Amino acid sequence: MKKLYSNKLVILSLVLPGLLLFVFAILAPICLSVYYGFTDYSGMGSYSVTGFENYRELMHDTAFWTSLRNSLFLAIGFICIQHPLAIVVAAVLDKLGGRGENFFRCVYFIPNVISVAVIAYLWKFIYNPDFGLLNNIIKAFGGKGDVNWFSTDTAIWAVLIVLIWHGFGWGMLIYYTGIKNIDQVLYEAAAIDGADQKTTFFRITLPLMKPVIQVNVTMAVISALKQMETVYLLTNGGPGNSTQFAANYLYQQAFKAFRYGYGNAIGVVFIVICLAATVILNKVFEDRDERKVRRLSGRREEKAA
Amino acid sequence: MKMAGQRSKKITKFLLWAILIFVAVIQIFPLIWLLDFSLANSTEMFTSGLLVIPEKIQWGNYVKAFVDGHFLLYLKNSVLINGLAVLLVILVSIMAAFACRRMRWKLSMFVKTLLLMGMMIPIHATLLPNYKIYNMLGLTDTIWALLIPYVAFSLPQGLFLMTSFMESVPVELEEAAVMDGCGIYRIIFQIIMPMLKSSIATVAIMTFLNNWNEFIMASTYLSSPKWKTLPFSVLEFTGQYSSNYAVQFAVMALTAAPAVIVYVILNKHITKGVAMGAVKG
Amino acid sequence: MKKRLLAALLTGVMVVTMAAGCSSNNKESGGNSAGGSDTVTLKVFSNLPDRKTGQGLVEQMIIDEYMKENENVTIEVEALDEEAYKTKFKAYSMEGMPDVVSIWGQPAFLDEVVDAGVLAELNQEDYTDYKFIEGSLNGFTYDDKLYGLPRNTDVACIYYNQKMFEDNKWEIPKDYNELLSLAEKINAKGVIPMAMDGGDGWPMAIYLTDILFQLTGTESADIISKAISEGDFTDENLVKATELLKESADAKLFQKGYDSQDYGTAMNLFTNGQAAMFYTGSWEASMALNEDIPEEVRENIRVFTMPAVDGGKAAATDITAWNGGGYGVSAKSEVKDEAVKFLNYMYQPDKLSKYGWENGVGMSAQDQSEYMTGEETDLMKQIVDIVNHATSVSGTPINDCGPSVFKTSIESEIQSVSNGSTSVQDFLDTIGSACK
Repeated sequence: MKKLYSNKLVILSLVLPGLLLFVFAILAPICLSVYYGFTDYSGMGSYSVTGFENYRELMHDTAFWTSLRNSLFLAIGFICIQHPLAIVVAAVLDKLGGRGENFFRCVYFIPNVISVAVIAYLWKFIYNPDFGLLNNIIKAFGGKGDVNWFSTDTAIWAVLIVLIWHGFGWGMLIYYTGIKNIDQVLYEAAAIDGADQKTTFFRITLPLMKPVIQVNVTMAVISALKQMETVYLLTNGGPGNSTQFAANYLYQQAFKAFRYGYGNAIGVVFIVICLAATVILNKVFEDRDERKVRRLSGRREEKAA
Repeated sequence: MKMAGQRSKKITKFLLWAILIFVAVIQIFPLIWLLDFSLANSTEMFTSGLLVIPEKIQWGNYVKAFVDGHFLLYLKNSVLINGLAVLLVILVSIMAAFACRRMRWKLSMFVKTLLLMGMMIPIHATLLPNYKIYNMLGLTDTIWALLIPYVAFSLPQGLFLMTSFMESVPVELEEAAVMDGCGIYRIIFQIIMPMLKSSIATVAIMTFLNNWNEFIMASTYLSSPKWKTLPFSVLEFTGQYSSNYAVQFAVMALTAAPAVIVYVILNKHITKGVAMGAVKG
Repeated sequence: MKKRLLAALLTGVMVVTMAAGCSSNNKESGGNSAGGSDTVTLKVFSNLPDRKTGQGLVEQMIIDEYMKENENVTIEVEALDEEAYKTKFKAYSMEGMPDVVSIWGQPAFLDEVVDAGVLAELNQEDYTDYKFIEGSLNGFTYDDKLYGLPRNTDVACIYYNQKMFEDNKWEIPKDYNELLSLAEKINAKGVIPMAMDGGDGWPMAIYLTDILFQLTGTESADIISKAISEGDFTDENLVKATELLKESADAKLFQKGYDSQDYGTAMNLFTNGQAAMFYTGSWEASMALNEDIPEEVRENIRVFTMPAVDGGKAAATDITAWNGGGYGVSAKSEVKDEAVKFLNYMYQPDKLSKYGWENGVGMSAQDQSEYMTGEETDLMKQIVDIVNHATSVSGTPINDCGPSVFKTSIESEIQSVSNGSTSVQDFLDTIGSACK
């Protein structure tokens, strides 16, 4: 048994496909990116190595900083708007029971399975100031209905709303599953104690959902950083650079401005930021949990002493 | 007292329904709007009403969308590419998960972390260098240009889910198999794999949903219609029918349809799969 | 039970994908064996995705004819709309350009591409009988070498809905102030004065060039090239032109949200009678023949050019026009001879030029006078008139005069300056520093 399980050749054959994919599709491109990031390569013809010139320029590139700020905005938007809504709706849905529960869960998730290309174009029409759905709704309620949703100040909100709408079902579903996994006994005990719904929600549901929330928050930050498809079709970063995102910006620089080297430099910084964000988030959540565990165990020791 | 209690219960019930229906309307109404106008005439778009009752239902919009949008070809490509990606992800991730989780070797932790790193790398950052690489190898405009990155970037998640699911498979089963003289491959494919059916479904669904949406890479790496995927029906139409909105709506509705229909039919399984995957990962 | 269903589903997917994989493989090998050794596949990359009307139709007609006449040649077309086209073109120019491609004879597009040797040199003597308008090849010529052929003579046009104008007793503005006060009148009727594709940036850059040309007349080209070569846009005329653009946006000349709407949206506002005017180029003259456009609008489309600006040097008959779009052949093409042959075929005067004329797609870059039948649409006749009476011509629009970095910068910044989120000064500084 032992010999069988440590056969080097077998192990190699099992992990090789995965490793090859990793090297070929992830590692090699990153190395290439790092290399081109140090050059002034336009994408064709000759080029020279310019050292850290691209990175120096990047530090002063307002469009790049705007794109990071936009990612932060989206992340906050997800955490403060989408997730609370999703938790509440999940909790409400959990109370409903019966066939309705299934029906609503299905309906909420539908936008999620539709391709981004369709979603983006659809919302472009919905936002259209002249004949779009949103302004027509405002008109139906007696308003003037001539809002320009993609003005410089509001465009990023418009993007956020589309993303919230598109991803709502996913977030809701995860919270819903989290709630279903909570032991019913706890609720029964709370009911016996005479706690009302609000108290049970804040005292039992929320605290027990903490691991789920943590996972979701991490996902929200990452997906805000990685945002590209929707923005690319909805606004392509405009007006100006008001809805610019890192992935979209590097694409524009490389394939529109003929600055392949610079685009790669953006890519490298982008990767570093994503890695850092994941590591930091994991550390933050991990630390807090561990501290708590330590504190609890500490108390127990005190008592024992 | 009892009456009042019942009444307040009724009110809560009513409130619950009101909230849920309200959210459902927000989620679904844009799609109804889409369907409605896809059957109308292009000039009927410019109304201030919420929905229109088309003067004459324009099925022709869908005919144009179906034919000029290369609907069947692109659907076939989408299903084929996504299907193959799912298969490969499952296969490769089970193999790697087994090697890292069950087999004994020094570097197992290292390899596993390395492969999981891919989860943190933004896929779009590899767009520029990969374009260069695929060109060099002559892979652009072939199915590989999509398949390789799709599999590579879905693999970490698959691996992560597979390793955590694999823990629930009792070791005793394998031991018995070894006694019977099974090799590692047989253990993986004949004993472990059947036990992981529901996890495989989860990985399959997650991978499928991840890649079904993708079009940036497809539009950068592909040029002929041969391997173009479903989103291209929509992307190409805005240029082709720039002066006919209704047809654009029809093509959007048509491209959205397959995924929505499959979802509605299999919704219980898919929700379960997503829930399982997301809570773990 | 559920598990079994899922397993069944999975196997199903597997079988289907494998079957599909096999069948597609078969097709591939089948195709190879069927084709003899002298079959040629030409890849054409075009910026005309609409293959059923206008310029795209003309291109497709010629391709079909060519394939009929040369049975061993298969032509594969990849067509994307302008913005997507230019992006993909740049990606292609890094490696592996298709054989025949749409190009623009303008520095922003061609300089870097020609430098890198992406395009094949054409033999100028081939074209002596092709009746190209004098000077139209200049944009495609570098160091006396020809790298492409122009397709159109593009004129910046303000299309308007004649019926709407007559019904409301609006008059064609004689100067820019009248245009702005007209905008106010039109807005008062609840109609959009001028539909503008501000989401893409290039139409507004043409608009800016148009104003600048009206301000400075024939000096505009020098002002632009000097500003770009020095990276200094402080010239007072540039400042004034930009201010006028911003003033126009402030006066609500364009539709709400113009700065985020794309070409199709802007055009649809006009063709569906929501807007009284539409700013774009002469290549849209085929609107008058497009069956998708409601008849009431289609038959009433007329055109005028940018009105004179107060204190401007240009005459009323000076127009903003240039030879922009055209075709070139890839230098690395494996079937270069066939590609050049096809290119020359397209440019035979009785092909692109004649068909274009018959389909009302505006002026080609070749002499078209012999195809005039007198039965052209009124819109076409108007445009011909404008070109024939032009006293001077602006040349390439500002955004296409500098390197790609400049083009990218001005096309995105022009949105911000017109909608007021950056000042005129900042705008000129930013596009200036993009030139360095």
